[in-house]
Amino acid sequence: MRVAVAEDGALFRQGLVLLLEAAGHEVVAVEAGGDPLVAVLSTVPADVALLDIRMPPEPDGGLVTAERLRAAHPDMGLLFLSHYAESHYLMRILEIGTDRIGYRLKEKVGSVEVLSDTLARIADGEIVIEPELAKRLVERPRGDKKDLVSTLSQRERDVLELMAEGRSNNGIASTLYVSAKAVEKHVANIFDKLGLQPDTSAHHRRVLAVLTYLRSQRSDV
Amino acid sequence: MTLGGEHGRRAQEVWRRRRRLERRLHDGPALRLSALSLRLGVLRAEIPDQALDGADAWRRGLDECADELAAALQELREVAGAIYPSLLEEAGLGPALRELVAATGARARVEAVDTRCGAAAEGAAYFAAAACLEAAGDDPVDVGVRVEGDHLVLVLAGVDPGLRATVCDEAEPLGGSVEVGGPGDGTATITARFPCA
Repeated sequence: MRVAVAEDGALFRQGLVLLLEAAGHEVVAVEAGGDPLVAVLSTVPADVALLDIRMPPEPDGGLVTAERLRAAHPDMGLLFLSHYAESHYLMRILEIGTDRIGYRLKEKVGSVEVLSDTLARIADGEIVIEPELAKRLVERPRGDKKDLVSTLSQRERDVLELMAEGRSNNGIASTLYVSAKAVEKHVANIFDKLGLQPDTSAHHRRVLAVLTYLRSQRSDV
Repeated sequence: MTLGGEHGRRAQEVWRRRRRLERRLHDGPALRLSALSLRLGVLRAEIPDQALDGADAWRRGLDECADELAAALQELREVAGAIYPSLLEEAGLGPALRELVAATGARARVEAVDTRCGAAAEGAAYFAAAACLEAAGDDPVDVGVRVEGDHLVLVLAGVDPGLRATVCDEAEPLGGSVEVGGPGDGTATITARFPCA
C-alpha cells in the first residue's frame, strides 16, 4: 500500500516509517506538519494518509489537513493517530467522513499485523475506531442510555462493541467465531432494544447511528 | 474590580504552569514511549519465523513489553488529565466536561457556551465540576456554563449543598465567588463565578 505520514514528533515519525516499511508498505511522503503533506500529495498518489491530530497547523492540524485531503482526493484513506482516544475527536472525525477513515491510539498500532489490518480496513472503505474508545462508549453510554444498554445480553453487548469499532458483519462474525447470519440477528435485536431505526443497508450509516446514539445526551435523539 | 489582586495573579500563573506541564508530558515521555512501541513492533517483525530457536518466546516477551508500554502510557494520560486535561486546552470547557461525563459514566447533562475564558478560569471550573460529578455518583446533575461580563459562570444543579466548600477551593484563589441555592429537597444549585483572564 502507498502510505503518507504527517507527524510533528520526530521520534514517532521515524518509528512509524520503519514499522510501515517492515510491514511491506511503500512510504511515499513523510512530513512534520499538515500543510507540507497536502502540498506533496497534490502530485504524489497515496492510498492512505496517516495524520497526527495535534500537529501544525496548531492546535489540531490533523483535522484541518484531513478536510483538505478529503476534498482534494475523496478516495484517499485517512488514519488519525493520537495520544488520546476521545469521543470529542471521534465526532469531529466522523464529520470529515464516514468511510475510508480511522482513529487509533498511537501505541496501539505498534505491530505489523495491527497496522496492516487497520490500513487494509480503511482502504476497503471501512471506519476503524480505537477499540478502547468503542468499549468505553458501550460500557458507559450517556445518561438515560445506560438503562437501555443494560437490557442487552452479554453477546449483544459484544456485537455492539464491535459495531462501534466500525466492524462489518463479516468482521464481527470472524472475531466472535459465529456465522454472519447469527450476527445479523444480534444486530436486529440490538437495534430493536435500543429503539434505533433498523436502517442497516449502508455500513457507515449503521456505525454512525450506533456512535451517535451512545454519545448523545438525550434518549430521543 | 479586583480580580483577586496579587493572589489572583499567582493563581492564574499556577494554572498556566499546569497547562504547560501537560504539554511537556505529551511532547516528551508520552511521545517517546509511543515511538518505543513502534520500535518493538519492528523488532518483532524481524524475528525469523521458524529458523530461530525460541522465536515464540521472543515474540511473547516483546508482546508483554508492548502491553507494559501501553499501561505506562495509560497511567501517563491519567496523570496528565489530573494536571490539566488536553481537551480543555484544545476545545474548551464544554467538550472537556462532556468527555469527562462520557469517561466516568456520570448521569450528567452539560450545556455550555463555546466562549473561551483562559487557562485559569476554565481549569478551576473544570476541576470544581469534576469534584461535584464524582461526589454525585449515579445521581443526575445538570451542568451549565455561561459567560457574564468578564466572568465564567458555572452552575451545578442537583448536587449536595455540602460541596460548596469544594467549589470555593477552586473559585476563591482566583478571586471568584460561590452561591448556593436550590429547591430544598436535599440537593442544591451551586453557582460559581470565575474571573476570566
